[in-house]
Formats: sequence, structure tokens, C-alpha cells
Amino acid sequence: MSGPQRVLQGHGCAAGRFEGEVVVSRQPFGFWQGLDPQTGVVIDKRHDLCGTMIKGKIFVFPYGRGSTGTPGIFLEAVRNGCAPAAIVNVKSEPMIIMCALLAEAFFKVSIPIVDGLEAPPQDFLRTGDRVRIDGATGRIEVLSGG
Amino acid sequence: MAVHLTDEEKRILDGKSGEPQRLALHVLTKLGEACGAERMVEIASAHLVASSYQIAGEAGIDIYSQLVRQGARVKVRTTSDPGSIDFARWRDFRTPADYAARQVKIAELLDQMGVIPTWTCTPYTTFNVPRYGDHLGWSESSAVVFVNSVIGARTNRLAAYVDLCAALTGRVPCFGLHLSENRRGQVVFQLDADLATDFVDHYFPALGYLVGQTVGDQVPVIVGLRHATFDQLKAFGAAAAASGSVALYHLVGITPEARTLEEACGGLAPAERISVGRREMAHVMEQMGAATAGPVDVVGIGCPHASIDQMRRYASLLEGKHIHPDTQLWVCTNVVVEEMARKMGYVETIERAGAKLLVGTCHNDCPLGAWSFRRLVTDSGKFAYYTPTTVGTQCVFASTEACIQAAIAGKVERP
Repeated sequence: MSGPQRVLQGHGCAAGRFEGEVVVSRQPFGFWQGLDPQTGVVIDKRHDLCGTMIKGKIFVFPYGRGSTGTPGIFLEAVRNGCAPAAIVNVKSEPMIIMCALLAEAFFKVSIPIVDGLEAPPQDFLRTGDRVRIDGATGRIEVLSGG
Repeated sequence: MAVHLTDEEKRILDGKSGEPQRLALHVLTKLGEACGAERMVEIASAHLVASSYQIAGEAGIDIYSQLVRQGARVKVRTTSDPGSIDFARWRDFRTPADYAARQVKIAELLDQMGVIPTWTCTPYTTFNVPRYGDHLGWSESSAVVFVNSVIGARTNRLAAYVDLCAALTGRVPCFGLHLSENRRGQVVFQLDADLATDFVDHYFPALGYLVGQTVGDQVPVIVGLRHATFDQLKAFGAAAAASGSVALYHLVGITPEARTLEEACGGLAPAERISVGRREMAHVMEQMGAATAGPVDVVGIGCPHASIDQMRRYASLLEGKHIHPDTQLWVCTNVVVEEMARKMGYVETIERAGAKLLVGTCHNDCPLGAWSFRRLVTDSGKFAYYTPTTVGTQCVFASTEACIQAAIAGKVERP
């Protein structure tokens, strides 16, 4: 396997490592009323990803639109194996970080989260790109696509 | 950055106070690290949003069951947000029996942890009344914004389950709205003089909706209002917390941290000033669906949960009237207000008119699929924001009087 096409340094918000496919949105996202926790499909009719599967993907969106019920839906998705595997934001709000902390504490599932990259991630990542993410160090390696 | 822990907190993290407290403090410490907290702060009370099955789901039942097995008990006064059923009348609201059984299971688990079963989004009117300056571990966005803004207590918008971690340990990480420097107003809204002198009741949720949309999670300051009732402050904040993520607002001359504009802004010049007049109010109410007309399936009032003053008003508007046979009028409140309203005869008047009380829950929290509602009318900015997705209806925003008039007529007229 060849080295990464591009390496980006951000801020690690929640620990964990994952390599996989990216799904990119340009819009803020709210998991509460936004994700079907039984299928991992986006159900918010006002959202650009409506109908898209984010289960097992590296989910890239600018920032969360968080109801305080957010971890309810998020952990239900984790329990069903339908949550995103990792998250990349422009800015990760406490609500989304809390989701990852709770997934780790109660379901032993690590969901790495990285924010604060030098450029908005939605500008250089495309849906379908393969990426390696480390939520402890904040390092992102783009392996293919882009 | 590491959070400084006291010796007692270190003992809790070593498991000396049991596994539930260890796990809870671990989550809170990690949150504190991510959000730059230097220490933890002890809280006077907690309020839990994942008391509803719609929010907690099976994951919540797993989590609560695990904690109960490990002997978890709340350490501070802790109340529950609305559930997903009216425990007494769920059959009347066509809630599926298996769904109701899962909500009852959550109720049993919360009981075993010592949670006070208030089942309300307005716990500050029942058994969880904070004082000025208290640090709290609350969720429920409409309650958070009320106790921060109107009472002057201090809480961040905690997430589901993080609120329980706070309840189990009696602590939260000290960041955000626990610190005075983050409570300063950032965006100033100046009401035009002609609007301010004639600021009617339903302008409060509409202005809240406008403010929330504009500021996101910043702290807004409103200048120009002369008077606001308890219920108007409740409606304003709930709307701002729904359309934005407002957790604290200041109304100059009305709320306790805003005796003057200067005090509200903490002595700093605000970054932004926005004027609001009749045109802006008309525009936001149009976005909330106020211009829609036609037949109405369901009317929702009492979001956030109705106070006894509101129950009196509903009863007086419904006295001797009958709501339309094709329209449902549901009044949402909590069991404490229900009991008092019953003693005072308001419940009888409301029910005689053909309306229903929906207690301990609301349109947003209940499964309403069996009703196939198409158009909902409400006086709540929070309902106006959420019900198009939660209930799947078109939403029409109107004053309380117009809501009740729509229920009687079975339709809403163009204003």
C-alpha cells in the first residue's frame, strides 16, 4: 500500500482510530430527528444527505445542531451498530463529544472525533474518499480520492 | 488539559464510591478535558432529559438497567423530563401498548435510582426550584434557558446521560456558563419603540424564535421590553433554545443579571447590535407558519408545560364553548398543575369543552403515528420549530386565543 496522498493535522476531541470511507455534508447536522438509529440513514428532510447511509462511515459535517436529546439517538444507533464510525467537524460542540464519551463508557465503542483542521474538511474531502483518522492525535491521512 | 481533581474526586475515580460513580465521574472528567475545565464544581440539583423512551430508547434501558444493577443512586435532587406517554391516559392517545410498557420500564429504573418523577419540562415550577447563583447539572433546553436567564442559576446544556452522570456524582465540569465571563451578552437586540409599547403575548415566542435563529449559541441581550410575565419568559426562552441553541439570555431591566445594558454585557461593548421592528416580527411569524389557513386536525398548547395561570386562561377561553368534532385540542401540563387545576374547576371546564389534558408528556414526545395529523396549530415557538419533524405536520403559529378559536372552528383563518 502506498503512503497517504495528504496528511492533515487537527485537534483530537475523542480518542480512537479508524480507516474507512468518508461521507461529506456541507450543512450542520442534528442526530436528534436527523438519523434513523435503526438503519443508520439520514432522515432529516431539510438536510442535503437525506436518504444517505452514514452507518460505519467517517461522517464529515461542519458542526452539530444539538438538541440535548442527541446522545439518546446516537447511543441507540451505537447499540444497533448503525452509528458513524468516526466524525470530522470544523468545530465539534460539547454535545457531539459527549456522544463519543458515552459510547465508550457504556457500550465500549470508540468513535474518534477530530476538529480544527487547517482548512474546512468539506472543502478537500469528497464522499467516497478513503481516510485514516486518529482521534487521540488529531491526525487525518487521505489515502485515496481527493 | 487535565482537570484538577480533589482528593474525594480521586477516590471516586479509583472506584471507592462504587462503579456507577466511577463511570459517571470518568465521563464528566473527559468532558471537562475536552472543554477546557480546570476543575469540577458541586451542583445543587440535576434534571434528566433521557427520561422519555423516545429519546432513551433501548440503549437507555440498557444503560439504566446496568446502573441499577450496580446500585446507582442519585446524589443530589434530581427530577425527570416528560415521558413519552401520559401514564394515566395513554390508551386515549392511541399509544401502542408495547411502547407504553417500555416507558413504564424506564420509570421503574429511574425510581430505583431515586429520581423525583416530575415528568415535566418545567421542574422549576414543581419540586426542583434553583436559587440565584446555584450551579446545576440540567438538560432539557427550555428548562436550562429558564433557570440560567430568569433565576440566575448556572448550568450548561447537558446532554442526555451526562445529566445522569452529574446526578450520580453531584458534580459537573466547571466551564461555559458556570463561569461569569461566559455569561456576558454578545448580541444586542434593540426593539423599536412602537413595537415595544405594544408587545402582545404571542410576540414573546416569536421574538425568541427570531433571536435563536440569529445568534445560534451566543448570549443575546434584548433592550426595550418593559414587562414580561413568568410564562412569557418561559415561552421566549423555549423558542430561542429550539430555533438556536440559546442557553442564557438577558432582558435588560427584567432578568437578574441585566439590571442595565452595561451589566448584561459585563462592561464590554457587544459585538453586534440588531434592531427589531414590526417588519422583522411579521417576517419571523410567517416562517413559523402564521400565514397558513385551512382545516386543523390538532391544536397544541402548554409547551413548555402550562402553569396554573395558563390553565385559568384556557378555562376562561373555553367556558361554555365546544371544540370542533374533527379537531383535537390537547393541553400539555404536569401532574402538579393538573391536580391544582382540577381542584379549581379548570379541568372540568376544559374537558367539558371537548379538549383533552395530556399530562407528563407532549405532542413532541408521544408517538402520534396512529393519528395521521396533517396540520397543527400552536402558540409555542418550540412546537413550531419541532413538530414538522416530530409529528410530521404542517405547523401554524398563532396566539393562545387564536389557537383555541381554531379548535372551536375546526380551521384557522388567514390573520
